[in-house]
Amino acid sequence: MPGQSENENALAKLLVEALNLEDVAPDEIEPDDPLFNEGLGLDSIDALELALAITQKYSIQLKADDENMQHAFGTLRTLNAYIEEHSV
Amino acid sequence: MALASLLPDSQYVINLHADRYLYLRAFCAALVAGQCTLMPPNRQPYTLEQLRAAYDDAYTVGEAGEEAVQPDFRAEVPDIPDLQRAAIAFTSGSTGAPTPNLKYWQTLRDGALSNAQMLLNEDSEQLNAVATVPPQHMWGMETSIMLPLFAKVAISNLTPFYPQDISDALQSVPEPRMLISSPIHLDAFLTSGVTTGRIDKIITATAPLSKQLALDLEAHFDTLVQDIFGCSESGILATRRTAIDEEWTYSTTFELTMGQGGVKISAAHLSEDVMLPDIVELTGPNSFRWMGRQQDVVNIAGKRGSLAELNFRLQEIPGVVDGVIFAPTGEQHRGYRLAALVVAPDLDVSDILDALKHKVEPVFLPRPILRVPNLPRQGTGKLAIKAVQEMFAKLRDAT
Repeated sequence: MPGQSENENALAKLLVEALNLEDVAPDEIEPDDPLFNEGLGLDSIDALELALAITQKYSIQLKADDENMQHAFGTLRTLNAYIEEHSV
Repeated sequence: MALASLLPDSQYVINLHADRYLYLRAFCAALVAGQCTLMPPNRQPYTLEQLRAAYDDAYTVGEAGEEAVQPDFRAEVPDIPDLQRAAIAFTSGSTGAPTPNLKYWQTLRDGALSNAQMLLNEDSEQLNAVATVPPQHMWGMETSIMLPLFAKVAISNLTPFYPQDISDALQSVPEPRMLISSPIHLDAFLTSGVTTGRIDKIITATAPLSKQLALDLEAHFDTLVQDIFGCSESGILATRRTAIDEEWTYSTTFELTMGQGGVKISAAHLSEDVMLPDIVELTGPNSFRWMGRQQDVVNIAGKRGSLAELNFRLQEIPGVVDGVIFAPTGEQHRGYRLAALVVAPDLDVSDILDALKHKVEPVFLPRPILRVPNLPRQGTGKLAIKAVQEMFAKLRDAT
């Protein structure tokens, strides 16, 4: 685990499972690497699938027009921080 | 009009506006100035580079941040010549190389009038619409830009993406409301459980809508779901209420004729005939039944790709002994991605993906890629899609 916290690791597992990223090991996702385009190379279909998986697991609805949200989807670390902050 | 006189002297304008009002305003200004709008399939730097290389005098609008602008002009609608080159849409095939698709003004205008007749009740009040699809895609252009110009449709400037955004955007416009979307957005919208005010009509295109999703959407949102059939070359062609209809009804503007190579679409407003990339059976004077994709066409996220070409790219990878890329139909799969079964004893899945990444448009990259000892080929070497689907479903169940 390259410096992932426990919650980040759980999120990494959700991400790999929800998106069928079978060539990616959850433990090996660098928390500060970009998730989209370069980095993991996710696209907009992934963004929707991931948003649904997050809604189901953490009971929060994501919004793209929230500026924090744009930032949140940047890396595993920022996404996890967003979820920690917004989940009850 | 005032804006048109300020535009740079050029034949082409790349319209990148995400704000639909600004897009529409820039499109209209370009029309008045006799300029042709280029609709890039995405905002990736590489795409824009290619576009600028192919249309070297093109300038770009909407690239930087967008200022909020209130509608501020009322003017007589000028006459735009029928054969003015109004816009070029780009369809990217399996390998991502975009093919230009020229639309004359006549095609867009008369198409919009025909679509209004087909999709809207003549005597209904104005519909207030929200679209989740970008205006740069033909489906978004025809519905969210051209319909508001020629029919009783007002459009929100927003392009909501996540379910909560769609709900917020819908609630920001008055009733009666229309949602212009695609199956993947609608599926996410429904599954997320967000609530929203009444939606009077949902129209959807860009990928096949399952009957179950249509039924669920109609029940959950107490609405009508109209599925749209068309392609970039013909524009919107036909519609059906997928929850109850089997057959598609097409507008009398079009004439469909069965020929040797398939079904030919002709219309006064189309500059040339279009061969339908699907297999259909003509069932009545204005209806047809969809029988499947022509040859091997797949439609993902509004992009049309060839399975034969994708399979060729897969099989030419050194180390791949055999392999097949296909669109899974099983229940466990949400159906928005292709999948692959690959025989490659010496390769990892990541090797295969890496090799494909260089040659294939990203939305067509198969996920998952499952490695198998061999494919269920028949004695003749033929590979039946049914056997592939069964093998895939079994492997997915096992994991």
